[in-house]
Amino acid sequence: MNAPDRKAALMGMGESRLRKEDARFIQGKGNYVDDIKMPGMLHMDIVRSPLAHARIRKINKERALAIPGVHAVLTADDLKPLKLHWMPTLAGDVAAVLADEKVHFQMQEVAIVIADDRYIAADAVEAVEVEYEELPVVIDPFQALEPNAPVLREDLAGKHEGAHGKREHHNHIFTWEAGDKEATDAAFASAAVTVQQKMHYPRVHPCPLETCGCVASFDPVRGELTTYMTSQAPHVVRTVVSMLSGIPESKVRIVSPDIGGGFGNKVGVYPGYVCAIVASIVLGRPVKWVEDRIENLSSTAFARDYFMDGELAATTDGRIQALRVNVVADHGAFDACADPSKFPAGLFHICSGSYDIPAAHCSVKGVYTNKAPGGVAYRCSFRVTEAVYLIERMVDVLAQKLDIDKAEIRRKNFIRKEQFPYTSAFGFEYDSGDYHTALDKVLDAVDYPALRAEQAAKRADPDSPTLMGIGLVTFTEVVGAGPSKMCDILGVGMFDSCEIRVHPTGSAIARMGTITQGQGHQTTYAQIIATELGISSEVIQVEEGDTSTAPYGLGTYGSRSTPVAGAAIAMAARKIHAKAKKIAAHLLEVGENDLDWEIDRFMVKGNGDRFKTMKDIAWAAYNQPPAGLEPGLEAVHYYDPPNFTYPFGIYLCVLDIDKATGETSVRRFYALDDCGTRINPMIIEGQIHGGLTEGFAVAMGQLLSFDAQGNIQGNTLMDYFLPTAVETPAWETDYTVTPSPHHPIGAKGVAESPHVGSIPTFTAAVVDAFSHLGVTHLDMPHTSYRVWKTAKQLGLTR
Amino acid sequence: MQVILEKIYPIKAPLPACWSVLSDITELATCMPGAAITEKIDDSHYKGQVKVKVGPATAAFAGDIEVQAIDADAHSLTLLGKGADKGGSSASMQLTATLRAEDDGSTSLVGLADVVVNGKFAQFGGRMMTSVSDMILGQFAGHFEAKAIAAAQTSPTAAAGAGSVAGQEAATSTPAAPVVAGELNGVAILWGLVKNFFLGLFGKKA
Repeated sequence: MNAPDRKAALMGMGESRLRKEDARFIQGKGNYVDDIKMPGMLHMDIVRSPLAHARIRKINKERALAIPGVHAVLTADDLKPLKLHWMPTLAGDVAAVLADEKVHFQMQEVAIVIADDRYIAADAVEAVEVEYEELPVVIDPFQALEPNAPVLREDLAGKHEGAHGKREHHNHIFTWEAGDKEATDAAFASAAVTVQQKMHYPRVHPCPLETCGCVASFDPVRGELTTYMTSQAPHVVRTVVSMLSGIPESKVRIVSPDIGGGFGNKVGVYPGYVCAIVASIVLGRPVKWVEDRIENLSSTAFARDYFMDGELAATTDGRIQALRVNVVADHGAFDACADPSKFPAGLFHICSGSYDIPAAHCSVKGVYTNKAPGGVAYRCSFRVTEAVYLIERMVDVLAQKLDIDKAEIRRKNFIRKEQFPYTSAFGFEYDSGDYHTALDKVLDAVDYPALRAEQAAKRADPDSPTLMGIGLVTFTEVVGAGPSKMCDILGVGMFDSCEIRVHPTGSAIARMGTITQGQGHQTTYAQIIATELGISSEVIQVEEGDTSTAPYGLGTYGSRSTPVAGAAIAMAARKIHAKAKKIAAHLLEVGENDLDWEIDRFMVKGNGDRFKTMKDIAWAAYNQPPAGLEPGLEAVHYYDPPNFTYPFGIYLCVLDIDKATGETSVRRFYALDDCGTRINPMIIEGQIHGGLTEGFAVAMGQLLSFDAQGNIQGNTLMDYFLPTAVETPAWETDYTVTPSPHHPIGAKGVAESPHVGSIPTFTAAVVDAFSHLGVTHLDMPHTSYRVWKTAKQLGLTR
Repeated sequence: MQVILEKIYPIKAPLPACWSVLSDITELATCMPGAAITEKIDDSHYKGQVKVKVGPATAAFAGDIEVQAIDADAHSLTLLGKGADKGGSSASMQLTATLRAEDDGSTSLVGLADVVVNGKFAQFGGRMMTSVSDMILGQFAGHFEAKAIAAAQTSPTAAAGAGSVAGQEAATSTPAAPVVAGELNGVAILWGLVKNFFLGLFGKKA
């Protein structure tokens, strides 16, 4: 075969290789947690609080225990002797495993029932009688901070020092600041122009199609615990389980089998997992727990719920001088945010965006309320969605105030190509970018001047039945957490790992510390190895998710798989490559310096007929290694990234609004992404389609709302918006390539950009439709009803 | 979840008969589908229960009823009911009911209810709360009317002054049988909601 054919046969990086995972998924042959059945397995169900805030007077188990087939009913009092009625959270707080004396939110776990089957368990849940004494409910974080607000966390009485500094109030968790306050305040004091906008990024839920669950199996004879679990971070869970249970980490095995979507919802450790494990240890039998949709939406980790107050200071010609942001963050009843330990507001301080802003300061105040805990990164890097939403909204508000075009103001404030690596006012070092080129490409593709002209004509025509909005967002993400000097979870640095073994016949297996939930790791990781080692990706197996076989890694979330684990793969492959070169030199009887690497082989310089392929070398590695070299061809690499990566994108949305009904219709959505080196264009496009669709869902319909009594409203898919093919707009995608200079293959990560970038684009488009009437901002979700209310207030409809 | 309902139900019975039902709390309670007074503590305090069945889910609300005001001259009654079931759902209702004599001898039952519901029913029923409350109160009014008509027949004093319409209606109806509302039936309510929804589409009201 000639070189181009051999290269194509590898199906390496840059090829749109079909997904290896799909064969089993489309045939219904996946293996999810709920598919796992073990001999003697019992089933668990959870008694949950119907009230948002109440004291538990009494729990009566008798009627439940009398039901045939019920093995146990456990409450906080039963877990107390094991000290497992509370557990540590990732954010340095504690969370109740089962409600201890008090319930703090509706649907909180109060008791568990273990029974022979799922149906008996459900019946027994109904039979557990809990007497409550209702307490005043606090739903609003601002009310929670009032001096006489009810005390939500009685367990923290007298604790004035939290995990992130001083607590100023009984419902206050932390205040976290970044940037230079003095310089920022000074810039505002002397600024020619300032704008301010308050906005609420509402509480939403990642709502993966597969809910959370586990099968815990404790072997009392061997003292070993195996748990199959819907986890985005199985190794971290193993460490936590070992710390909580006292079982040595070597006897704990956590397996994440196929996972039906995570989106941040499956990062944390939930009470259900802990209870199933305890039940299995107590009863000595496997215990399965799988939550239903209502439980998933009501009690597992939500996302966002940030009340943001943004300000920009600028010159009269639109050069931004300073950014100031104050946030009140509703964290719910327990601080269970999944963020690197040192960052209680995640990487929110990326909120200076793609712009060269000299001075910036932000402050985030975390508050307890009577809602479910969470605050996870829903298809984004930690709080980056909130940050991008804030800055992109603020730039639009400034453009409106100064009557500058929304593309023009961005162009004027972009970090220029030659400024990279660029250190932001918040201290992030942006690795690479070329925003101007990308913006021009998008504006040309959609003929932006023509769109604005059409919009102007529509506005001038009083008989036009529709309003036209153009949303433009030019975002920068920060992903790939992260350098261990900055990022850790429970003290474990956020490196990731890869172990590659090349077998004697030239096929290979790679084991990873990450875990795919739909990202297509089995496909793309193999492509990296194929290119690095010259082995066809078709004979490379990728295994993840079993802590007994995989090297330790921090898991998959925050777009960290490609930036961190992808780098680990390349580095492990390069170790093998280096050894292979020694073997090739030995086999060809030349010096290493006399060899050239070409696609799948080492060739003697200047003599293409004398070569050894990686397949030849693999056999020799086991059977005739050079003297002094140990046999075998494998390597492990733990990669601690030197920096984050900074993918970016330019998104433009054109939508039409029916003035009479408030119905919105996305006419066009153009998404240009730059994720650095592209490993598999087809998978990238799929990820972008998925992220845009989820972004559309958040912007246009998703909301977890509560009434004044703390009853969660709309926790079923009747109400919680998951778009189907019917509602989803058509997407147009495009790209530029600006590799990351510090990543071994230059890749930056892509799966979250479309979610992060599209949400403010939809808001911008809806606001833009009304902007000529003085509207500067509208909070999500932009449902027809809410848009219609705006139209009505503005007198556009009766 | 809070719902405030203001309703007027026409009752084809004379006012004295209606008042005899309205002012007798034990009797009144049985008009509520699935409800019963289980214990009378004193003239203004009672214990009661309501059984609700929606599909496979059942709830038995046990609670207290307090008569806050009773005014025989104005034919008005205010009561506060509070209850919780063992599964933890809870509900409270403050109800002011006033009777108004109409020219044709019938009576209007004017109700103002402030209902707060917590727990499962508030979670799942949020969007349907108003409709469901409407249905329940409608059934309540139906039972109330039947009882008032029966009272008008059996008690000459209560029937005295009955206008022609109510009198004729009462005369043609079947002899008074004890009227006891059954269990609050979720399927019937659901059917009622579906029916109302479709009628609403065509601009009609059930």
